[in-house]
Amino acid sequence: MIRLPLVLLFSAFLFSTGIYGVLARRNAVMVLMAIELLLNAVNVNLIAFAAELQDITGVVFALFVIAVAAAEVGIGLAIVILLFRNRASINVDEVDLLKW
Amino acid sequence: MIPTPALEFRPILPEILLCTFAIVGMLYEAFARRPDPVPHLAIAIVGIGPAAVTAYALWDWSGPSYVLGDTVAVDRFSVVSRFVLLGAAFVGCLYYTHYASRDPGSFRGEFYPLTLFATAGMTLITAANDLIVIFLALELLSLSLYVLTGITGRRRASEAAMKYFLLGAFSSAFFLYGVAMAYGAATSTKIVGVAAPGIVQALAGQTGSQALALLAMALLVVGFAFKVSAAPFHMWTPDVYQGAPTPVVAFMGAATKVAAFFALIRVFDVGLQPLTWDWTPVIYGLAVVSIVVGSVVAIAQRDVKRLLAYSSIAHAGFILTGLTAANSTGIGAAMFYLVAYAVVTLGAFGIVMLVSARGEEQTSLDAYAGLARRSPGLAALMTVFLLSLGGIPPTAGFIAKVTVFSAAIGAGNWPLAVVGVVASVVAAYFYVRVIVYMYMREPAEGIESDDGVMPRIAAGVLAAGIVVLGIFPGILTGILEPASIVRW
Amino acid sequence: MLIDYLPIVVMAVLAGVFAVGSLMASSMLRPNRPNPVKLSAYECGNDPVRLPSGERFSVKFYLVAMLFIIFDIETIFLFPWAVSFRSLGLFGLVEMAVFIGLVFVAYVYIWRKGGFDWSAGEIAPNEADEVVERERALFTRSEQEVAKPPDVNEWQGAGRAG
Repeated sequence: MIRLPLVLLFSAFLFSTGIYGVLARRNAVMVLMAIELLLNAVNVNLIAFAAELQDITGVVFALFVIAVAAAEVGIGLAIVILLFRNRASINVDEVDLLKW
Repeated sequence: MIPTPALEFRPILPEILLCTFAIVGMLYEAFARRPDPVPHLAIAIVGIGPAAVTAYALWDWSGPSYVLGDTVAVDRFSVVSRFVLLGAAFVGCLYYTHYASRDPGSFRGEFYPLTLFATAGMTLITAANDLIVIFLALELLSLSLYVLTGITGRRRASEAAMKYFLLGAFSSAFFLYGVAMAYGAATSTKIVGVAAPGIVQALAGQTGSQALALLAMALLVVGFAFKVSAAPFHMWTPDVYQGAPTPVVAFMGAATKVAAFFALIRVFDVGLQPLTWDWTPVIYGLAVVSIVVGSVVAIAQRDVKRLLAYSSIAHAGFILTGLTAANSTGIGAAMFYLVAYAVVTLGAFGIVMLVSARGEEQTSLDAYAGLARRSPGLAALMTVFLLSLGGIPPTAGFIAKVTVFSAAIGAGNWPLAVVGVVASVVAAYFYVRVIVYMYMREPAEGIESDDGVMPRIAAGVLAAGIVVLGIFPGILTGILEPASIVRW
Repeated sequence: MLIDYLPIVVMAVLAGVFAVGSLMASSMLRPNRPNPVKLSAYECGNDPVRLPSGERFSVKFYLVAMLFIIFDIETIFLFPWAVSFRSLGLFGLVEMAVFIGLVFVAYVYIWRKGGFDWSAGEIAPNEADEVVERERALFTRSEQEVAKPPDVNEWQGAGRAG
């Protein structure tokens, strides 16, 4: 038996790690991975709630989140490729044509 | 054997039609021999027209209020938003068809399917009664918009797409975390539950954890504030508005704000209604910061697209002002403001597109110098839109501002109304400055106006609508009044 | 009521004061002797050379990754359906047929747009020597070659032109 608050703390920790990754990483692909971490932290939360509350909705939602995360990565990589073709660099700090 | 759920597809027929014709457009693009905007436009209009008709059929809906397993609400509130959004999509497609004809090499047929997908997401988000559906619709519209932002593949557009994507995905994660918390607090993701208790019933009965509910509220605010570009979650707005192709900005600026605000109204005024005393101060704070940041930073802008972006941040603040009154007066005021704002935004960006016949470069204020001499029609239309954005009578923007301020005062939030009025005076400066440039400066050398007819007609109709609404606001308020009561 | 949130505000203020305060205290107390060596990256012996970004492996792999992720994740919906296939009955079958139809449409689109043409724009055999030469030059790079951005044109064949 795993207690709910522990799982929630774990997912909050994962989420915070993801936030740190998004804010601190320079490489766009790394930022993308950090965003995936954020979504997966939420998935942990959803599954934990679903188990605790004996309710199927959370599990179904987690499946949808996984699918959406995949779509998000697809779009993200496409934009990375587009940026690379235009600039030969995917460093988010060098994205400076527009004021950040 | 799991029983087949009761299927009532009529309430989501507009979305089904939009998605179907988006797929048709996508397949047409895949098999088309040469790039030609006309068939694409035809497919898009065939999708948008019937979607509007089926949406209208829902105005006098007599069936159950919640269908498809309580995930979709059927009410006049969502019908109003569908009309505005479908109109924005139609105008956006018209603009892009003209925009592509100026530079056939940059034409991408994917614009039309993506616009239809984004519109489907937007209309669905305003009708959704389930946070899962809201999240999926939010992603559908966001992902489509990220691609639309970078659709020309030019350097500026691709950088704007990158920023929009990274910050957008970041904020979606916050929104999602909020949804998970709401689920934990209420054991349900339904806003209003009919078969089983939804979020509003759980919160009203205090059956769930209050701490989780407050956490959910805070995280949902962050997610929505990003989508409606309310300060301090507005960082993406100026860059995306400046970098994205102008027809995309016209559609996105008008439609995203409408969709996100309608969803926000449903989630907060219905789902989190038992927490009203906790979320009104947050909305209040966001409104003040957005109004001040939007109005003050806009003064320093030399680029008209950036100027309109900061103005959109300020307008998000004004709409939030109306929503601090958590009642049907506030909702009605916000709806009126949103409709007026959508019309003005579509029109203003249409003019921005037409000011220069060549490419994206001429969006600086200098390109507007002497516009009245170069093309008096454009200058006159732009003046109407700017006056409406500034809230100067006799335009719809004036009536909209008056209604949101009176809603806020009615709820006792008069300091907020004072901030709004002062900021409006400050904002009038930079709107009027553009008008001064257009009428009192010598024309800039080497800039030719675009002589496109279709966008001119569209902008003219929008400008006429603005003035008519400014003089006879009763036409719209009569429609909005029965729609502004969100049932639960 | 609003006053209930006072502890959170106090907490946030304390955290901010602590963060700023400790940084300021250390900057006031510590000795300050800047030195270029302190700022350089740690690398044994020779001066570090910045790799031209993106040249480590072809950006083409991102396209493969993108398509793989999208089509791979679709199975996530097939799996629960397959497990409860019997209890879902005809309704589930129809729903799944619609879903797979939609994925198939995406597949057709990618195919027609040349998304599966992974060798598009790649080197013709007679150019191979030149490319090997260029790759070799990158590994034995001189100063000018490092300054030059990597060649990205070779990848561009997969767009509409194809």
